[in-house]
Amino acid sequence: MKAISALKELYAYRQMIYSLVKKDLRGRYKGSALGFLWTFINPLLQLGVYTIVFSFMLGSEIHPYSLFLFVALIPWIFFSSSVTGGSSSVLASKEMIKKIYFPREIMPIANVTSSFVNMLLCFLVIFGVLIAMGWGANFVALLYLPLIMIIEYILCLGIALLTSAFTVYFRDLEYILGIVTMAWMYLTPVMYPSSKVLDRIATTRLAQYDYLWYLNPMTPIIDAYRDILFYKRVPQMSTLLLAFVIGLFFVVVGYAVFRKLQRGFAEEL
Amino acid sequence: MKQGNAIEVKNLTKKFKVYFDKGSQLKERILFRNRNRYEERWVLNGVSFEVKKGEAIGLIGHNGCGKSTTLKLLSKIIYPDAGSIEMKGRVSSLIELGAGFHPDMSGRENVYTNASIFGLSKKEIDSRFDDIVAFSELEEFIDNPVRTYSSGMYMRLAFSVAINVNAEILLIDEILAVGDSNFQAKCFNRLREIKAHGTTIVIVSHSLSQIEQICDRTIWLQDGLIAEEGAPRDIHPKYLNYMGEQRQVIAEKEAERQKDKTSDAKGTKNPHEQVEKDKVAKEKNRWGNGNARIRNIVMLNSKMEEQHVFATGDDMVLKLEYNVKENVKDAVFGIGIFRGDGLQCYGTNTRIDKQAEFNLSEDGMLQLDLKNIGLLPAEYIVDIAIESEIGVPVDYFKVATSFEVYSNIDDVGVIRIAHEWNFDGVR
Repeated sequence: MKAISALKELYAYRQMIYSLVKKDLRGRYKGSALGFLWTFINPLLQLGVYTIVFSFMLGSEIHPYSLFLFVALIPWIFFSSSVTGGSSSVLASKEMIKKIYFPREIMPIANVTSSFVNMLLCFLVIFGVLIAMGWGANFVALLYLPLIMIIEYILCLGIALLTSAFTVYFRDLEYILGIVTMAWMYLTPVMYPSSKVLDRIATTRLAQYDYLWYLNPMTPIIDAYRDILFYKRVPQMSTLLLAFVIGLFFVVVGYAVFRKLQRGFAEEL
Repeated sequence: MKQGNAIEVKNLTKKFKVYFDKGSQLKERILFRNRNRYEERWVLNGVSFEVKKGEAIGLIGHNGCGKSTTLKLLSKIIYPDAGSIEMKGRVSSLIELGAGFHPDMSGRENVYTNASIFGLSKKEIDSRFDDIVAFSELEEFIDNPVRTYSSGMYMRLAFSVAINVNAEILLIDEILAVGDSNFQAKCFNRLREIKAHGTTIVIVSHSLSQIEQICDRTIWLQDGLIAEEGAPRDIHPKYLNYMGEQRQVIAEKEAERQKDKTSDAKGTKNPHEQVEKDKVAKEKNRWGNGNARIRNIVMLNSKMEEQHVFATGDDMVLKLEYNVKENVKDAVFGIGIFRGDGLQCYGTNTRIDKQAEFNLSEDGMLQLDLKNIGLLPAEYIVDIAIESEIGVPVDYFKVATSFEVYSNIDDVGVIRIAHEWNFDGVR
């Protein structure tokens, strides 16, 4: 009953989420000469750097490696910025939290949503590049794309709810999470294909435990993005379902913990 | 909740932890465990009250009495340790104005952001937008970035948003000091309008006149408990009297402290040096040929008790003693009363008052009865002087003593002129 009225209230405050997201996206590049264009220029320049480094300087058996990396990196950046940015979202708005009332969960929600919208805008660049390179796309596979994005959003939100509430009481978490997300990236097939690790495991005694690889919820999500955009095939649904369940678990637990901890925010900040 | 009530507060208690020396780092937490000691300070000790729908109440009390905490609890910024708060309807709190304003964005965009923080939907903001802008009187500037606004314009816009939320319960904390006096009057009128429409209002303020203008009831909080509640006209004089007494206690303590200090200093420092210093300090605000010296100045109330805080209209008694070294012929005693900012409020002497001239030949005492002092609230300084025949200062003592005046009427100026309003039978 309490949870339902809290959700209702959250719905009443939807305009605040919208305003905060808009303020964040528009305010981010305010004052720079190119302004909002940076949202698109930034990923394009990144792609340029990866192309130079991995295709020309280092060389890779995957071709084109820059595209292989890019379609996974954009969703990963969404995840990592949700975790790090989300964790400090409550802390960052402490002046407001101390002085006025609004459902506190709006802060992590707005933060994750703003990162999400940023990813969507980057996807415009991805599609532009796919077309420009003549890579093409599988339209049936593309239908799965929104689903993957939603699953990733849920996961990000759950983690951000948890970390943002804990960070208020334990400020070091903000910095710990910085290093954790970096390590997490190397444990997730962002820079290499999932198969490379699974093939390696298959030759060892750990072969029977290879399902553990998929306990990292970001693994099936990144795999799915790459399946759809790079390999142009329908993603594997069984592992995705696991990611969805893990994401849902984080949201439910994260929300419950957040509701409990938020009572002390104004005093702790 | 009872029928017709908008707010019900039952047995509210709240404590804050005050850390002596809080270490937030792990190292400090582990190494200096005993540093994590804290003191629990109870801010509210069981406050209960009800507010009817459409009623306006004012919370008063000295600093730290828990009135702002109560308001924060009502607005759900913090949560009580025990007790319950029930409220019916949308709550809007005017505790912080201009929350979420982004300086680089236009007034228009900021209105939308700010209003959304109060929980309004896009549609609701659209329908109020014109009212908000009209109320702020910023039509020409609404599309300029907020950073180009003056602070007055900024606050006007922020207040306009907050007051146009159309909440059923409005919580206000000391923010009616917005903009110039015209805009303040406008805000007050708006608040009255809102109240007339059935909005419940809770105001925290130090300005009793503001509360009297709007509120039906005053709740006086003291040390986390309700000291008294009732009609503002009944409660405010009591509160002011209490505050006046408190001030006197503080003034006395301060006087004692000063005394201790000087005696301490005399005890510890080189006595010769100290005497020299005293002399210089004395010389600065005291001069004359020294043939007679004023000493032991005391201020008394009409019951002949020593007092330094008076209400406007009280009687005051000034007593002093004087020592005579050499005869003073045709002595004149004078007094000057100055407001803290230097304005002379009153001055007279025995010659002006056509007292019989007299010679000072031996030590004596003098009593001056000041009747019905009409001075309005402020701090006052008293100069006392003895002069001889042709205006030669014998002992001119600047800042000889001081007193404070409080009042429970908010008339303004220097003194209160006895007056009466007559509407019938104007001649």
